[in-house]
Amino acid sequence: MLELVLRIIVYGTVVSGIWALVASGFTLIFGVGRMLNFAHGSLFVLSAYFGIVLTKELGVNPYLSFIIAVLLVGVVGVGIYKVTISPIRHHEVMVIIVTLAIALLVEQILLLIFGDYGTSFPSLVKGIVRIGELPVPTKRIVSLIVAIITLILLEIFINKTKTGKSIMASAQDMEAATLMGINVEKVFMLTMFVSSVLAGVGGLLYSQIFSIKPEVAVKALIYAFAIVILGGLGSVRGSIVASFIVGYILITVTSLFGARWSEFTMLLTIIAILIVRPRGLFGVEE
Amino acid sequence: MMRLADRSLDINKMIVIAVAFVLAATIPFYVPDAFVYLIGLTFLFIILAVSWDVMVGYTGQVNLGHTVFVGIGAYTAALLQVPSRFQGSSLEFLTSMPQPPIFISIIAGGVAAAIIGLGIGIITLRLKGYYFALVTAVLPLVFMQTTFVWSGIFGGEEGFSIGLERVLAETVVGRFYAAFIIMVISLAIMLYVVNSSLGLKFKAIREDQEAAEAAGIDTVKYKLVAFIISSFFGGIAGAAMIHYRITVSPDVYGIPLMLLIILATVIGGLGTIYGSIIGGFLIYLAKYWWLREIIDKVMQAVHLPINDEVILYIILIIIGVAMPGGVYQEIKKRIKR
Repeated sequence: MLELVLRIIVYGTVVSGIWALVASGFTLIFGVGRMLNFAHGSLFVLSAYFGIVLTKELGVNPYLSFIIAVLLVGVVGVGIYKVTISPIRHHEVMVIIVTLAIALLVEQILLLIFGDYGTSFPSLVKGIVRIGELPVPTKRIVSLIVAIITLILLEIFINKTKTGKSIMASAQDMEAATLMGINVEKVFMLTMFVSSVLAGVGGLLYSQIFSIKPEVAVKALIYAFAIVILGGLGSVRGSIVASFIVGYILITVTSLFGARWSEFTMLLTIIAILIVRPRGLFGVEE
Repeated sequence: MMRLADRSLDINKMIVIAVAFVLAATIPFYVPDAFVYLIGLTFLFIILAVSWDVMVGYTGQVNLGHTVFVGIGAYTAALLQVPSRFQGSSLEFLTSMPQPPIFISIIAGGVAAAIIGLGIGIITLRLKGYYFALVTAVLPLVFMQTTFVWSGIFGGEEGFSIGLERVLAETVVGRFYAAFIIMVISLAIMLYVVNSSLGLKFKAIREDQEAAEAAGIDTVKYKLVAFIISSFFGGIAGAAMIHYRITVSPDVYGIPLMLLIILATVIGGLGTIYGSIIGGFLIYLAKYWWLREIIDKVMQAVHLPINDEVILYIILIIIGVAMPGGVYQEIKKRIKR
């Protein structure tokens, strides 16, 4: 029993760190541009496949692949924004529909290229650490550390740098930001880059621990939904806190009852939040 | 003046509708049976596209889980016809249910879907913003999971058959007409609704929710009404589809079907009903008649990771970005210039 609890805490913390990256990216672009990017999960999966192709097919060093894959996904994200979202930014319904179509398009293409098999990014480190009685693979610990560092960098970037402040200013009041001479279009592109990079780091860390399949994109997207609804749409800090709550709930349910209940759990969590506290923990104004 | 213009337009419209009606009703006389079967299914698909449009196009709330209602309608009808599926489950008492007539089981499919729609709507539609889209996006996956978790009842991946004696009509042509009648009745009701004062309220909500509220419209109530109507007809189409195909399987919940519905409506133009009818007709036939064959042939030659779904997604993205008002509106706008 004690081992189970320890297991839930340790493993839950690691997964939650990864989902925190994904969810904070998703909520960032929503908070800044009021855009729901349904292709966010695809960026998560794409970066994993970029990394896998770089290391396994092209023989690039894993650390270097990691960085290249993340940057590539950032560029893909900006591309998606520039080509498809930007022209219809004010047509909210269409943004949702088009990004959903992109998500399915990416999934189909990945399925056609790689097939419906699980594959993994090579472990960045080997070995096992013991926490109490519980053996924990070092790569999980490393994933958590990378996730935390990334989140701290995000926090510093948003609050301390001039560019980050211009992003936050646009999030609070786009018109005022425009009047202050901030190029909002540029801010959106930058936000999309940061948001995609966050998804990308999450995807690589995930595929280093678990196997990745094209359909994981949908799963990642759903977890991100649950997390941002709990954290409050648009709040980065809220989504970080919420990802740990959701992460622990998820890992408790799946380790007690099996993985097939994860979707149910997410839905019930979402519904419970919407009934009890619809604005989430730290929701921003619509 | 307005009235007069409206009326002359109405007469033109009536002629087009009458011609379309006659053309559709006489299809079995000049189309081979294999395609008659497909066109009948297309009619049921049109109900899906139009019912989705009633919610999304008219009230502006993006429902990404319409297939949930298709699936609920489908499984409700199927289980009503084959109550023995409950054997061995905690719902064993249901096995002794009498088999209802097909007509009742289709209506029951619609009612079951509408009840679920009401439940989801009450939770999500009272909230402003994007919660409705987020929650409805999750639903199909959850419901699809139910078919695997309780595979004893729902039949898992394979689904189950309701038996040939439970088909809408024995001949293909008979089934075609049954589907045609179901479509005509459903479309008539939905058209009536959106052209009534109810439809006006839906549109007011879409255009400006706050202004609608200021004008005294209970926006939550009317969004809910639209959603119930939409899910009811989603369920009707799902149930009718089961009696048309005789088999039910988890694909009725599937995302590919959802995308097809969206594509049909977006091509026709959101919030136009007639656009969804035309879009639904073209897209469903394209997908199941010739698109796959053509793509397969082309791809044998060039070896690219492309199949018919990829092409449909690309079309949807291009139309969504280039003509967010729908193809027809865009053409009309270009001509006027």
